[in-house]
Amino acid sequence: MSQVESRTSRTDWWRPRRVGDGRSLELQLGPLSLAVGRSGGAWLVAVSREEARDTASRARCRVRRRLPEQFEARYVQAQSAEWLRFEPLLADRPVVVRPYRPVFLLSHEEVTLYLSTPVFIRVAAGDPPTVLREIPSQPMSDTWFGPNTRSGELCFAGRTHARHRLEELPVRAHRAITPLRIRNATETALELEKFSLPVPVLTLFGAGNGSLWTQQITLVREEVGDLARVAIEGQPPDIGQTLERLAGPRQDPERGNLVLRTFSALFGAGGH
Amino acid sequence: MPLIDALLANEPLLSILRAAILVAAGFVLAMLASRLVRRLLGPRLSAQTLQLARRGAFYGVLALFLASAMRELGFSLAVIMGAAGVLTVAIGFASQTTASNLISGLFLIGERSFEIGDIIRVGSTTGEVLSIDALSVKLRTFDNLFVRIPNESLIKSEVTTLTRFPIRRFDLMLGVAYKEDINRVQEVLMAVAERNTLCLDEPPPLFVFTGFGESSLDIQFSVWARRENFLALRNSIAAAIKAAFDQAGIEIPFPHRSLYTGEATRPFPVVLVDPPDRQSPE
Repeated sequence: MSQVESRTSRTDWWRPRRVGDGRSLELQLGPLSLAVGRSGGAWLVAVSREEARDTASRARCRVRRRLPEQFEARYVQAQSAEWLRFEPLLADRPVVVRPYRPVFLLSHEEVTLYLSTPVFIRVAAGDPPTVLREIPSQPMSDTWFGPNTRSGELCFAGRTHARHRLEELPVRAHRAITPLRIRNATETALELEKFSLPVPVLTLFGAGNGSLWTQQITLVREEVGDLARVAIEGQPPDIGQTLERLAGPRQDPERGNLVLRTFSALFGAGGH
Repeated sequence: MPLIDALLANEPLLSILRAAILVAAGFVLAMLASRLVRRLLGPRLSAQTLQLARRGAFYGVLALFLASAMRELGFSLAVIMGAAGVLTVAIGFASQTTASNLISGLFLIGERSFEIGDIIRVGSTTGEVLSIDALSVKLRTFDNLFVRIPNESLIKSEVTTLTRFPIRRFDLMLGVAYKEDINRVQEVLMAVAERNTLCLDEPPPLFVFTGFGESSLDIQFSVWARRENFLALRNSIAAAIKAAFDQAGIEIPFPHRSLYTGEATRPFPVVLVDPPDRQSPE
């Protein structure tokens, strides 16, 4: 899974490209295939997905000499500019991540788990860029996160292996990795059943090998009560590579709000 | 000139004039107050509360000016109030229904079980609430009809607000043939829900075996969706379940009837006959 396609550069797919009339820009990112063609004063957008093949690691972006044969929508721009950009973004709702198998954090232990969430692609054309549309790289199921069915928050659902070793991480070009540092300062083991990852308040970074990252989230489970201290680092995570800032947070992080969240609000009702 | 002097000297005419000016000014000011409320509070209040605040401002200002106009005309406020009390009793007896609707309307607004813009179901009528007025609630049904429901009947009957909570559950009742394995049916259904992106991951889909039916094993399968996606989920999940059952070879049975000819029954004699077009010439 972690083989890197060496033929094409994996890192520059998010840079703006010049697309001539009658040509199109194609992006293959994980399961997503996206083609945007320029025809006269309009952009033709074609989206398709390949679920069956193991396409998780592919990331290829190139200009083709033809227009997409079938397109979903046409975006008319009076002054057809030739610049086109595929911009990676984090999801617009929190993602509730659940491990495939239960993970327990023993008392007085500390661990960094690497959780990944699919990114969205924002198609922007022209200079200054105008947003045509946003497309999730992978369709995500809705889920509800809250103490009951009356109050809570609509989120996306995700699954994770909750890996804790950096070298085990596969490069999946369409997913952004969030390091989650958890410290269990209590006497009892902590079951990590599910975690609501607040991706709309995180910043997205790109690494040299094409992997996408967000800042680290630190979480401390205190002895007293249900409260957990949550902190979002201001700096990009330390993964031994230089990281380039790709997109800022979609929402302003309300610091107070995040810090004061209870543990059950982050881990779900049965998570502790 | 003498005419104007005479008019100005005419005290009753002058007071009528002043009263008229007061009423007109009151009307204009009340409208302005109502607009001011909308401009100041519009972005912060819900449609329901805004309408209440606007009406409150309008009628409050208007009532003040009307009272002043009355005083100008020489009526004593205390006497008017007393007369109004007597009048209310008389009117109350004469128009019980209207009064009942009026009081019900106050309770409806106070109870806040629904607001303007909500979708409610009353009896067999489902629609969007357009306004909650003194006497009635106005609905727009989904086939675009305007329905007026008296407040009194709303207070008395069961009202369901469909848009109160952000998520909804869809209960699908289905039956499978007696030969099927219930656990396998459950697995297939859960897989369908897992694949459907509109279907919420949490709360998890619910599988309930409801009983041994006449010709099928009866099952309730409940899935959750965002309120906005409810209809889309309802259609997509039914289609996906049918397709998944077809693929897995699970039968959704037609009603079966077993016929017996009596106590010491023998099977009905059955003879297989070829259809006419395939019968041989001889």
